[in-house]
Amino acid sequence: MRVFQLDSYVLLLSGKDCLKFIDGLSTNKVEGTCTTVFTKSNAKIIDMVEVIVVGENIAIVGHNQYKEDLLDHLNSRILQQDVSMRDISDFNKVYISFDEYPMSNEITVVQTFRGWILVAPTSQQVESTLTEKEFNQYRVDHLIPHQGFEITPAHHPFNCGLHNLVHEAKGCYIGQEILTRMRSRNKTGKALHRVEGEQEDATTTGNTHSLVIRRI
Amino acid sequence: MDCGTCETAPAIEVIQPKVVDAKLTITEKAIDMLTEAFGDDRSHALLVGVLSGGCSGYMYDLQIVETTDIDCQEVVISGFRVLVPNASSHLLDGIEVDYVDRLMGGGFKINNPNASSSCGCGESFA
Repeated sequence: MRVFQLDSYVLLLSGKDCLKFIDGLSTNKVEGTCTTVFTKSNAKIIDMVEVIVVGENIAIVGHNQYKEDLLDHLNSRILQQDVSMRDISDFNKVYISFDEYPMSNEITVVQTFRGWILVAPTSQQVESTLTEKEFNQYRVDHLIPHQGFEITPAHHPFNCGLHNLVHEAKGCYIGQEILTRMRSRNKTGKALHRVEGEQEDATTTGNTHSLVIRRI
Repeated sequence: MDCGTCETAPAIEVIQPKVVDAKLTITEKAIDMLTEAFGDDRSHALLVGVLSGGCSGYMYDLQIVETTDIDCQEVVISGFRVLVPNASSHLLDGIEVDYVDRLMGGGFKINNPNASSSCGCGESFA
């Protein structure tokens, strides 16, 4: 089992307006468990997150580096909506598995386009079998973007291979006008590519290939 | 996921904007439309709120309600009860509720002096 521990935060959102709240502020149509992207008004990424329905609550799993930016983004927009947030990162560890991971009562497992995301209580032992180098090698081999490498605030979702997370028909959200215009004019700018060898502009470098964000 | 202990995690403090006494105006055209909608019934109120979302981050939320659980302030304009949620009052102070009669994009419109930008459809603002 190829498993790697991610540097993630976990927020727990409660209240009847949770899903609507996330849906109104992110690129994908959020009706349940899914992956979505929060963007700024210039369509640049704040963070890509896993949205996981946990009973009546919603967990948001994102990359630690961008937690404060996302919290700032969300916090000022709750207003009159029935949404409260808790930071439960200290109680849970997050992993990614590149092989189907068995369901269990203790570990929350969701399948995503990157692999299986596991959210496990800190008391639960999950063996991380991949080194960071092996994790990145797998990403290069399979053209999988990751936060801090390809998915960064310098890029919009089309730049870093997240086309599938930008819903074509959902309503407005922050950054939507720009993304829709880019898509409708077929001008989505630079894109994520896997190219041979080491590259000066590589976002991730593997043994024989690299990931780059380029206009090709 | 460990949710058994989640309840012990303190809730993240939500930014509570300052509550202001929202001053609203309603244009004659909008009053006419409200009169048409409400008739003689004054048991209902027009709720003017703000939700997150839209191209610019905030969306107007207009509803006709009898009561609401939302913590609101009430103003009476030309005999109509208008409710403004306290949580959004800082964004709605000074707005003008208008009615635009046109084929596309017609309906109630909010002119908001607090908005630094708004999207093409006029339903959201920042």
